Amino acid sequence: MYCITDEQVDFILDDIRRNGIEMEDLQLNLLDHICCIIEQNLEADGDFEGFYRKTVQQFYKKELREIEAETIQLLTFKNYYAMRKTMIVSGLVSVMAFVTGSLFKWMHWPGAGVLLVLGIAIFSFLFLPLMLTLKIKESGSKRDKLVVTSATITGLLYCMACLFTIQHRPGANILWFSTVIVSFFVMIPIYFFTGIRRPEAKVNTIITSTMLVAATGFLFLMLNTRPSYKMHEVKMYSWLQSEQLLQRMQGANTDTDKLAADINSISMQIKSLVLQNAIGMPAMPDDFERQGIFMEEGNTGPAFMNAKSKGTRLIVELKEKIKQYNAQHTTTPIPVAHTALDAPDDMVGRYSNYTILNTITQLQLYVASAPHTLVATK
Amino acid sequence: MIYSTELIKGTLKTIVLKLLADNKRMYGYEITQRVKELTFDKIQISEGALYPTLHALESEGLLVTELEYIGKRVRKYYSLSPSGKSKSKEKLSELADFIETMKLLLDLKVKTA
Repeated sequence: MYCITDEQVDFILDDIRRNGIEMEDLQLNLLDHICCIIEQNLEADGDFEGFYRKTVQQFYKKELREIEAETIQLLTFKNYYAMRKTMIVSGLVSVMAFVTGSLFKWMHWPGAGVLLVLGIAIFSFLFLPLMLTLKIKESGSKRDKLVVTSATITGLLYCMACLFTIQHRPGANILWFSTVIVSFFVMIPIYFFTGIRRPEAKVNTIITSTMLVAATGFLFLMLNTRPSYKMHEVKMYSWLQSEQLLQRMQGANTDTDKLAADINSISMQIKSLVLQNAIGMPAMPDDFERQGIFMEEGNTGPAFMNAKSKGTRLIVELKEKIKQYNAQHTTTPIPVAHTALDAPDDMVGRYSNYTILNTITQLQLYVASAPHTLVATK
Repeated sequence: MIYSTELIKGTLKTIVLKLLADNKRMYGYEITQRVKELTFDKIQISEGALYPTLHALESEGLLVTELEYIGKRVRKYYSLSPSGKSKSKEKLSELADFIETMKLLLDLKVKTA
């Protein structure tokens, strides 16, 4: 029976710490354990240090640190199954939120934005990190970990780019470019060179890599053809300024002409149909900037689908009124040649929302600027 | 014959819970010695496996601990929490069932001495 001195206790504790055991609980346990073994097994006049070294060597395969690593592993992954379940559920929820959000956005129903943001947020901040943690734990080699990590980063960038695009935030294009660059120069090479070395995964790796390159290339192409945020902005403000100009002129013009009033009323109806489709509201609110409302160039929607649609019928009516107006106001007619109003009725739906809006606003400007007030009263 | 670590790893939690159910409170070294004693040296729990398991069981709330000072060092005693008690029964019957199934599966002839 050996009697351990306080100095020797300090010596052992020091040595344990130096060998990478940082958890205090574990230090205490190991210290007591080692002391017990020494006290039980070492002769009273035995060699303390030599016996200590031999004892502690039996605790590990390569390093003492293994015990702490194993402990942390067990503590972290005691929730392994809960994590996996959360991952699957969050994946499903985010996909569902995204799909319904897209449908809502397409139909211009309220709540589309919330659903889309929720879907993307859950996917990128819950699903992807959980997947990364679990995959890293499962994958054996460092290379596999690298593949999973780079894929997760690409996925995160992709999600953020989507989010920024949906919300019309500046920086969306930079994010898309980053996604393309990371995917093309980091993720795909790592994936390809890891997989190609394994005979059993060779064919799959080549197929998947080719598809990834194609998908990235396609994204890059779309990015080049996609008008930038600025271009949409210029289009929107150009139309809005025409609208402001119209309002000023209408304010100055005390119009009593019945035909002019009809034309204006039909014009307003057509514009609200276009806006309803584009932003989900019949008119552009005054504080659209604060509300983050943004109108992209797109089609005019179901109201202009065919000759029987409501919008198309309004346009036909408008053309008729313009004909009557032009017959009365021979000196200041509304020119329709070569405009969207010159097209056959079933072709109207092919013009973009901005084309229709600008055409209508311009014809209202013609009406507002004409001196027909005088003509009418004369 | 000393059993391989793979065999022991899957049953270590159950062994620890059962020992604590029978002995009220124990510390690490005591557990390894008791296992050695009860199995006539056939099962020797390594320190590298025992302590991570003890910490995991503690963080799962199955074990409670007491600290006792022995001179300059601290000894950590482990005992079962209420949920640990029910868990130990559950684990034990699961393992007993598993052993029966293994006997069937591997067609083992169990010597009844």
